[in-house]
Amino acid sequence: MSEQSTHTPAVGTSYVRTDLEGKVLGTAEYTADIALPNMLHARVLRSPHPHANILGIEIGSATKLDGVFDVLTPFNVPEGKVAPDVPILDSRVRFVGDEVAVVAAVDIDQAKAAIDLIDVCYEVLPFSTNVHDSLNSASFPIHSEGNLVNGGPLIETRGSIKEGFDQADYVVEDSFTTPDHHPASLEPRAALASWDGTRLTVWKPSRGIHADKNILASALGLSPNNIAVVGPAMGAGYGSKDETRTSVMAALLSIRTGRPVKLELDREEEFLAGRRRHSTYTEIKMGLKKDGTITAVHAKTIMDTGAYLSSGPGVVRRAGQGILYLYKCANVKYEGQLVYTNTPTAGSYRALGAPQGHFALESLSDKASEILNMDPLEFRFKNHVGPEGQPGERTTPRNQIIDTQPVEGGVPFSSNELRQCLKLGAEAIGWDRRDYIENAAGPIRRGIGMSMFIYRGGPGGQSNAEISLDQDGLFTLNVGFMDVGEGSSTVVIQMAADTLGIPPAMVRINGGHTDKTPESPMTAGSTLTFSAGHAAMQAAKDLKDAIINASLKLIGLGDSEGLYLTPNGVKSKCGESISFLDIVHNAGPIKTLASVTPGSKDYIVNSFGAHFAEIEVDTETGHIEIIKYIAVHDSGRIINPRLAEGQVRGGVSQMMGFTFLEDMEIDPHSGVALNASFLEHKSPTIMEYPEIEVIFADSIDPIGPFGAKSLGEPPCIAPAPTIANALYHATGVRINDLPLTPDSVLLAMKNLL
Amino acid sequence: MDSHLTSDRVDMDDNETTTKFIVNGREYSLKIDNRYTLLDILRDHLRLTGAKKGCDLGECGACTVLLDGKVVNSCQILAARIKDKDIRTVEGLSQSETLHPLQLAFIENDGGQCGYCTPGFIMAAYPLFESEEELSTEEIKLSLAGNLCRCNAYGSIIDSVAYALEIKTNE
Amino acid sequence: MKGFTFKEPSELEQASDFLRDGSGGYILAGGTDLVTEMKQGIIEPHLLVSTSQIKEMCNIEWNQSGVKIGSMVTLSDIANSESMKIKLKSLVQATGSIATPQIRNIATLGGNLCQRPRCWYYRNSRFDCLKKGGAKCFAVGGSDKYHAILGGHSCYIVHPSDSGTALVALNAKVEIYRKSQRIIIPIVDFFTGPEIDVTRENILEPGDILISIHIPNESMAGSSVFLKAKERKSMDFAIVSVASMVKIENEIISQVGLAVGGVAPVPWKLNTLESKLVGMKKEDVDIESLCSGVFNDAKVMGQNGYKLHLAQTYLERALNLVLANSN
Repeated sequence: MSEQSTHTPAVGTSYVRTDLEGKVLGTAEYTADIALPNMLHARVLRSPHPHANILGIEIGSATKLDGVFDVLTPFNVPEGKVAPDVPILDSRVRFVGDEVAVVAAVDIDQAKAAIDLIDVCYEVLPFSTNVHDSLNSASFPIHSEGNLVNGGPLIETRGSIKEGFDQADYVVEDSFTTPDHHPASLEPRAALASWDGTRLTVWKPSRGIHADKNILASALGLSPNNIAVVGPAMGAGYGSKDETRTSVMAALLSIRTGRPVKLELDREEEFLAGRRRHSTYTEIKMGLKKDGTITAVHAKTIMDTGAYLSSGPGVVRRAGQGILYLYKCANVKYEGQLVYTNTPTAGSYRALGAPQGHFALESLSDKASEILNMDPLEFRFKNHVGPEGQPGERTTPRNQIIDTQPVEGGVPFSSNELRQCLKLGAEAIGWDRRDYIENAAGPIRRGIGMSMFIYRGGPGGQSNAEISLDQDGLFTLNVGFMDVGEGSSTVVIQMAADTLGIPPAMVRINGGHTDKTPESPMTAGSTLTFSAGHAAMQAAKDLKDAIINASLKLIGLGDSEGLYLTPNGVKSKCGESISFLDIVHNAGPIKTLASVTPGSKDYIVNSFGAHFAEIEVDTETGHIEIIKYIAVHDSGRIINPRLAEGQVRGGVSQMMGFTFLEDMEIDPHSGVALNASFLEHKSPTIMEYPEIEVIFADSIDPIGPFGAKSLGEPPCIAPAPTIANALYHATGVRINDLPLTPDSVLLAMKNLL
Repeated sequence: MDSHLTSDRVDMDDNETTTKFIVNGREYSLKIDNRYTLLDILRDHLRLTGAKKGCDLGECGACTVLLDGKVVNSCQILAARIKDKDIRTVEGLSQSETLHPLQLAFIENDGGQCGYCTPGFIMAAYPLFESEEELSTEEIKLSLAGNLCRCNAYGSIIDSVAYALEIKTNE
Repeated sequence: MKGFTFKEPSELEQASDFLRDGSGGYILAGGTDLVTEMKQGIIEPHLLVSTSQIKEMCNIEWNQSGVKIGSMVTLSDIANSESMKIKLKSLVQATGSIATPQIRNIATLGGNLCQRPRCWYYRNSRFDCLKKGGAKCFAVGGSDKYHAILGGHSCYIVHPSDSGTALVALNAKVEIYRKSQRIIIPIVDFFTGPEIDVTRENILEPGDILISIHIPNESMAGSSVFLKAKERKSMDFAIVSVASMVKIENEIISQVGLAVGGVAPVPWKLNTLESKLVGMKKEDVDIESLCSGVFNDAKVMGQNGYKLHLAQTYLERALNLVLANSN
């Protein structure tokens, strides 16, 4: 930025979320809010069986019903696929709630009435509702490859764990389980499709409209050019809304009937046909020297992916990253196995497998420190991975970008303020008091616990952004990513505005329409601030040059050196100026498109953090109350403190469900999800919200845009082990199985029966 | 607006009720299929889509509106029972261009993330804003305990409501 | 949801006529439960009879013998009643702990007493359970974490009404309109377990209307406490609840009411413990030893054993509190 600029930076300020006004007014339009003339309403017939072949479907009476326009069945849909293991509709159903048929009718009541008239002939198959049964050699295969995804585990290893455990004075090991945790976004899935005879437009909640467009094209056998995907406001998804069958079914119905078709899932359907967090079983083992050095870490995780694979491979990989990289150690091994079951599909949910992996790892770390007779915090100070990275040799070729989930050693981090996080958190919670907590007589026990984490820092593949100076003298940023409520639009505007040297209020953002925006990655993996930010910055930089060049000609100066942008236009050192309106009036609108693949060939870009909690446990009722919660994050430079704080507070609170309340209950005899409702799948209410203090470490990443790194998912990783470690400190009881419901705490207290 | 809010297909006989009610100050007189809820009427027939269908079972609060001044889940109110009722939705809070102080407070304090729960929370908070009593944080939370926010923006929501109440007191 | 006729009479007799025999009619009180059941396809009424225009069902009447609360009085009207906060603490605590502010503004006391169970097999239309006229109770050998440890017999639901638990401990009575007559019975006799009729939870017959709930002065003269264990602080039913009422006269315990919720198909009244306490001096009460063995008849299933421990703990705490508050 030019020295003469009078620009007040927007980066680092709590610029107001750009899309909040429509949300408070109730005018922000979500998919279900949209109605088109002559629109039909669709309803899905879902399988009552956990596993069955559909031998035949009788739809005659349904189609004859007044107001019914079309019925899709596995036997009348095209052959396309919505995912490698998911056809548009399948003649095999794999969980209670799997899609069997879809009706389009004049209204939803009539569609439901038609559903009741469809007669399906099922051949019921043996089923399994848990990984234990699926792994039984006698179990019936759910997919042709069997019940083990890829026939065996994903294995990642550095050094030799055999050597590592041979060097160990102690070996500490344990096993841990985590629940099926449902994101249950408040907005149920919906899709609206409209076919005009040549072109298809689909409105849907989406975290990747361009990716969705390609899936729709391949499933329906259409050219991507004949499809527009529009992402209206989205009632969140936390990663879970990458399922596309819903929109493919609506699209096909629209193509066949020639009328717009809306398919809205109800709440139970959102639980069943949505995506849940993979439940896990992890065996983990750590080798230790007497002085506390870690010689080896080995973990084996089994994950329940449910009926379909979805994003399972990404999830099982991410569950291992903490195990492989959080602690300085030459010898590590992670084995992750995905297993099919006849239950609702697991998929992406905020931080993917990281919370599960870190729950096992960080619980075990506390156990390790106890064996060493070492304070758990001191154990982390001694062993956490430092800025220099892991021991070992770099294996990535020098000309390649370093992966954000590396296994290799020998590569330093671009920034790593984990140590600072530990210090700041310990101070804020008052860790010094920990050994001196006195409990009054009675059932209440107080304890303090902590844990730390590592996570990908933001580089997320190619990202594009287009920015223009428009006829009205204002700027428009065209980006293909979706702001799903995390505020990426706002921070990207801040970065573009500062790059240009103008106030953020002069920048509009255009997103959510594949016809109008360049390709962009999905809102996934906490990559947007970093990757879309870099793209927006580059486009803004190019636009600034283009504007200066245009104004150079217009003002008639020979030197671009002294020119800079102000809110009113371009100014020179000598005081000459030209307004943006004059520039576009004379030179026409100016537009630049940038395509970047951000990342580093020399450094690992990762985010870090440490969480601390003080809790009270009622040992007679099993109730746990959080007294104080501290979340310290190294996410590099914070672009928008208020939004960032909201992400952390929200992430921590969301994981209170995973920690204390939420699990999907599948009836073992029927495969039916018993608690597919907000009342029974007990997501935290405002009453569960603890006071959460958010601290950002002083950190500026040299690779990140304006020094920023990822923040969307990291807040979700540490809450569960932090609470479980505090529970142990309070009561001397360690619970390895989440969630920590009153009954499980009581059972663990052995007070019972 | 005066129309027959029934599907064009089934013979309804007495499965309909004629009723008169007020929404955001405007009077409506309609013949309503008994199965519809107030939420259906608002969203599908009056095209007021600020109230959301998060669960349709009274378990999330996203459809919260005021019914004669009381917060209710509009998905639980059969439309046949709204005769002579005065209903207020989020669309009825702002006066033309001017946002209600609660709406401003939610913007100021970043009280929404994905925004799907936001209209429900604002309506649930509305009686607090109207009340003369001074409220503790705990009392604010209790009043909002019927609304789920899956982004868990609860901290900012509490801040927003507390801010609105404080501004009002200081005025 | 299937279509239905809607009636809103202003007289009890009219309402009762609409509902009599084979009408397939249901009373619509607040509707927070009934409408949900209709949406989920658990029931398919042809007729709904709203009782919101029947004046005497909507009033709270304080009289010489006590208070008469119309069954259509909302839970929030009770929870916010200044008089009841003083005289009927347990009922205020119970009604205030139910569901959410939105629901309490609509849901009625009568509706709360007559609501159907929350058993997840009952609530899921995929299971044709005993209570819905089917052949078996799916909780037996199934997922039984929230199910009954007492009085299960053949169906292991727990009664969902918190106000019911409080009112049983307050020795309340209910007034019912039956065949043009008014009958008044103790509320404890209003609730019925599966051994009587597995398809219902109370004595109401088609055409019967629960008019009001009467709480006698004696019960209001003492002190009362309602405690509720839940997994989530709002929007949750009791995993266990305990209501207690104690009146002390001349240093002697003269009246006691104790009921446990969330453990049985009916609010579970602890008659034996009540009679043991009557006649004792407050300072002679050894709560732990008195309460030990109270739930000896409990039969735990696979995952609901913790309820026994919770019930014991909450009973002791509720007794402690109510004795501490009474003088």
